[in-house]
Amino acid sequence: MFLHYLDLAWRSIRKTPALSLLMVTAIAIGIGITTTTLNIYQMMALNPTGERSEQLHAVQLWSHGPDTWDEFHMQITYQDAMNLRNLAPQFKQLAQMRSGMVIQVDSDKFEPELRAVRVTDSDFFSMFSVPFLYGTSWGEQVDKDAAYHVVISEKYNQKMFGGGDNVGKTVYLNRKPYQVVGIVDNWNPQPKFFDPMNGAFRDAEEVFVPFSLLPIEKFQVWGNISGWKHEDTKNFSDTVKSEKVWIQYWVELNSQESRQQYKQILTGYIDEQKALGRFTDNKTSADSSRLNTVAQWLSIAEVIKEDNRILVGLSFLFLSVCLVNILGLILTKFLKRTSEVGVRRAIGASRMHIFSQYMVEVGIIGLLGGLVGLALASGMLYLLGEKFGMDSSLISMSNSMWFIAPFIAIMTTLVAGIFPAWKVCHTKPSVYLKSQ
Amino acid sequence: MLKMNKVSKVFKTELVETHALRDFNLTVNEGEFVAVTGPSGSGKTTFLNIAGLLEPFSQGEFELDGIDVANLNDNQRTQIRNEKIGFIFQGFNLIPDLNLAENVEVPLRYRGMGRKERQQRVNAALEQVGLGSRHKHLPSQLSGGQQQRVAIARALAGEPRFLLADEPTGNLDSLMARQVMELLEDINRKGTTIIMVTHDPELARRAQRNIQIVDGQVCDFTMYQPQQESNKDVQLEEALSE
Ligand SMILES: Nc1ncnc2c1ncn2[C@@H]1O[C@H](COP(=O)(O)OP(=O)(O)OP(=O)(O)O)[C@@H](O)[C@H]1O
Ligand SMILES: [Mg+2]
Repeated sequence: MFLHYLDLAWRSIRKTPALSLLMVTAIAIGIGITTTTLNIYQMMALNPTGERSEQLHAVQLWSHGPDTWDEFHMQITYQDAMNLRNLAPQFKQLAQMRSGMVIQVDSDKFEPELRAVRVTDSDFFSMFSVPFLYGTSWGEQVDKDAAYHVVISEKYNQKMFGGGDNVGKTVYLNRKPYQVVGIVDNWNPQPKFFDPMNGAFRDAEEVFVPFSLLPIEKFQVWGNISGWKHEDTKNFSDTVKSEKVWIQYWVELNSQESRQQYKQILTGYIDEQKALGRFTDNKTSADSSRLNTVAQWLSIAEVIKEDNRILVGLSFLFLSVCLVNILGLILTKFLKRTSEVGVRRAIGASRMHIFSQYMVEVGIIGLLGGLVGLALASGMLYLLGEKFGMDSSLISMSNSMWFIAPFIAIMTTLVAGIFPAWKVCHTKPSVYLKSQ
Repeated sequence: MLKMNKVSKVFKTELVETHALRDFNLTVNEGEFVAVTGPSGSGKTTFLNIAGLLEPFSQGEFELDGIDVANLNDNQRTQIRNEKIGFIFQGFNLIPDLNLAENVEVPLRYRGMGRKERQQRVNAALEQVGLGSRHKHLPSQLSGGQQQRVAIARALAGEPRFLLADEPTGNLDSLMARQVMELLEDINRKGTTIIMVTHDPELARRAQRNIQIVDGQVCDFTMYQPQQESNKDVQLEEALSE
């Protein structure tokens, strides 16, 4: 019977092409807009670390003085970072910052260029599950005794060397030779959870160098440096010693116990620092640090802006306006066919038969609207990228949308169709038999 | 077969109450061919609609094929319509988007009949009305008489016990009307009970039994049975005993 209804529905849709087109368009526009905003929202709401989210923790410290900031800062001072690194070596942890360097290789095919570089510790790669195509990260020893090692991405490997296993080759960063120790396979988590402050939807860096080189090479900071009091930081060593916050700090804690243990270490450390005259705000030591899972971190970084929530809400509102319109169109269409319904009722169609027949027709219109809506959404996302420079990870259609969009479309039209179908299936058979 | 006792039907609109049927009594026996005549607005269609369970009635008793239909719900009425009753309308009422075979198939589908049996019945029914070769035509491609024959085929395909026809020849010229009438007589001879509303006294005269509805009541019986004299007495007795 269902197939028969499909057949009937298809004939009916083709019989009134203009009206059908109008309905499909109305749904398509509603679905297109909803899908677009929903897609962006969904991409923003993604947690790229999955199960690891609960194990990876971003560290925040309340190191500022009284009456300054009223929130935890997302970064910490260099001295705190160095102290924590030494204090708890039994934990996997990393200090990092974003820098930029001039990059060169011994090849005339590759033009020297200025590029973002991630300055980090070796545990970065294991903690954030970075896959290696060739080689591996620099050794832990390098985190202590600096060495000129570099990890590059496969994409950059292609660009610099034309691909292949180039572990051992030399890359020049700011004119200094670095040895390639590892080449990272495709890796670009979105949102960029490990550094959302510098653009949550920027691509991951393609070049990584040891954090231990930072004091030696005095890398330029390509991120925020924030201070809560006036400090004269004329040069790099001033910055390193200052209370300015510019280092991101992560630790891996795999159990509740290790979490508590680490928290205690932090509290102990802050006690110590208070004794030394830092951490002067009147907050307890225990309250002066915070460990955030990735999910919490993304929320603190406000990866999903309030605007986006409102936008999603508005688009659903718009969809409901479309729904009301469709309802009107469906009603018009169905009521034109009451005489046929009268005949069908007379010769043996139950109300359920009629109701189902019309709901199937509505469902097909919904499906068509959903598909056209998807195409519209793809177009809109493309435009957002091309004309408004929206980040590419946000405007790529999420796989789930291929199901969600038609699903919403069908559901919407079915809801809109209930009343017209109900109305038409309550046609009194006798009334319409005389006319025709 | 069909037994109405003091059935009445009142149409209520904002301003007026129309008593379309009042204390309507009628018994139709199995195998009869009843022609219903009467002035316009007298309640013929109303009677037929009630007889065909297309419309509820306001008061009285109505038994169809041994079933008291007064208290049936919509689904039960639908099922009886589908299985026991065939309808033929003045306006043919074919579904314009469906071809002939599909039109005839409609009631069978609602019965949940399998594809093969449906096809057999459709073929047989169209064959019987002389349109066996035109399965794929659309109703709009046929003449009025042909359309009415398709409608008859549709009514026949379900092998109903009853055929209810409301002015089946009203839209046809006299030649076509006669053809349709012959078809109905043929069907009646095979055992189907037929109740036919008509304005045409000549056609009415060809039925075994004539009733006249005037002002919502059965008014007058006249029996026309020129061919089968022997049957006449039986019919008369029956009529008188009502
Ligand atoms: N749906 C309705 N609402 C109100 N009144 C109705 C309705 N249907 C019929 N009537 C009234 O009931 C009476 C009988 O109508 P009916 O259609 O049965 O007459 P009829 O004998 O079939 O007439 P005709 O020969 O013109 O077809 C008429 O007075 C009509 O106005
Ligand atoms: Mg009438």
